Amino acid sequence: MVGLSSGEKQFIQGGIAQDLRCDGRKRLTYRPIYVETGVIPQANGSARIRMGATDVIASVKAELGKPSSLQPDKGKVFIHIDCSPTAEPAFEGRGGEELSAELSVALQCCLLGGKSGAGAAIDLSSLVVVEGKNCWDLYIDGLVVSSDGNLLDALGAAIKAALSNTGIPRVQVTADASSDEQPEVDISDEEFLQFDTSAVPVIVTLTKVGRHYIVDATSEEESQMSSAVSISVNRQGHICGITKRGGAGLDPSIILDMISVAKHVSEQLLNKLDSEIAAAEAEVEDDES
Amino acid sequence: MAGKATSTPTTYSPSPTSHKTKVPIFSDDRVRPDGRGFNQCRPAFFRTGAVNAASGSAYAEFGNTKVIVSVFGPRESKKAMKYSDIGRLNCNVSFSTFANLVHREGSDHKEYTTILHKALEGAIMLETFPKTTVDVFALVLESGGSAKLPIICFSISISDNFVMHVVGDLSVVISCASLALADAGIMMYDLVASVSLSCLNKNLVIDPILGEENCEDGGLMITCLPSRYEVTQLTVTGEWSTPMLNEGMQLCLDACAELAKIMRSCLVDAAPGSEE
Repeated sequence: MVGLSSGEKQFIQGGIAQDLRCDGRKRLTYRPIYVETGVIPQANGSARIRMGATDVIASVKAELGKPSSLQPDKGKVFIHIDCSPTAEPAFEGRGGEELSAELSVALQCCLLGGKSGAGAAIDLSSLVVVEGKNCWDLYIDGLVVSSDGNLLDALGAAIKAALSNTGIPRVQVTADASSDEQPEVDISDEEFLQFDTSAVPVIVTLTKVGRHYIVDATSEEESQMSSAVSISVNRQGHICGITKRGGAGLDPSIILDMISVAKHVSEQLLNKLDSEIAAAEAEVEDDES
Repeated sequence: MAGKATSTPTTYSPSPTSHKTKVPIFSDDRVRPDGRGFNQCRPAFFRTGAVNAASGSAYAEFGNTKVIVSVFGPRESKKAMKYSDIGRLNCNVSFSTFANLVHREGSDHKEYTTILHKALEGAIMLETFPKTTVDVFALVLESGGSAKLPIICFSISISDNFVMHVVGDLSVVISCASLALADAGIMMYDLVASVSLSCLNKNLVIDPILGEENCEDGGLMITCLPSRYEVTQLTVTGEWSTPMLNEGMQLCLDACAELAKIMRSCLVDAAPGSEE
């Protein structure tokens, strides 16, 4: 928890009211984003995102599994977030667990889309190898290495970058099995295929401090919030998920206003993130060649 | 990952996507499987004082969804807790083993617990009971499935409990919990009403049941304080366009106001002296 004197609190709130925050940003400006991809060699894809002192890593692992009997034509995606006590002593034990669970649920809500698959970051039906028999299970794991506010946006961006970096081995079905048996599959260790990540939304969290709201809040600013709304928006400008943090109530008209602001901000964030990811990917390829 | 960089990155799709025609869930025009219209909620029934041992309790029945919530306290916080000059709220949501169509061991519903907590804490005047804790325990006796639906789940593999299922149950839990809190005499700014809504093929369907939720394109759950017209909790999943979302939110808020009327009349009926 951030310990602030009443003078500091007033300074933060006053600054936000005047559209000039402690680090010189305006209310709707992000901190510079640094993207690194391919940071974990054991994973199928990984990325590290830094925004100020916030530092997160996301990794994607793919394993062959069995589709659930309810949805035989769909693969499965699991999102789990870990808050390491190395980032902050408060993350030790239950504190970290609660935050991890909250972040995991928020990301599932923002990235996995509706039950029919509309608005999902990854088309689950593209993960099926043999319908009802084999599919890819994607394990998306996030790790908070260092925390200075706005973890959800950073994790969302890291997952997007990690998915762009992910290579799934090409699978050949060698023997077509009869109805009951598991088909034999041959997993290539040379050929890898990449995801179409154009549908992956970005998450924009608007933190309400006083009467105004800001993006990309630092932990000092977050300690002054009354509530925060996280909105995930995709390339088409469609909303893919909303979650709200903080118990204080919000007027519905403010929420609608927040949504339109988030749509506007997300466009810039998407462009910025896409160019950063492309630059990071180019760097990885340069290193390999 | 070494060797991954192919010259032309192809989109990953090992099996050709087969375009299956979806079985439409609505057979007739604008009539839902259980006979309701699109903008019609299930009939709601509330009763307070369902559990004698608790300081306050409530039972709610929305169609097939049956929920019981007990409130204990305010009582002394555990010794291990630090001093706090405002009260604490402790929530728990559990499902009975027979709540679903498929028998499942009492699984962990942490995500429900957090949402319930966040939905209620904004409404309770925590400063009225410093140093103490109020416990809110919710039990879903029966989950909102209907056996007459075209989509019947026969078996669920253990691994898919990551799916955020039956949001409709949760909104009943939240509304019922606020009634139980009122029954316990906990000071609140307002009752908390919660309504969920599904978007199915561009149709907005309020208060969805299990079968409808299972094939929704988008889901929306709003928790609000109807008299103050404030939203304390909002969860949206799936893909939404802004006009659709606006319409959905407005529908939910209107339904919340209706629901609050029913809840209030239940409290008035239960109040001593109302029989006269």
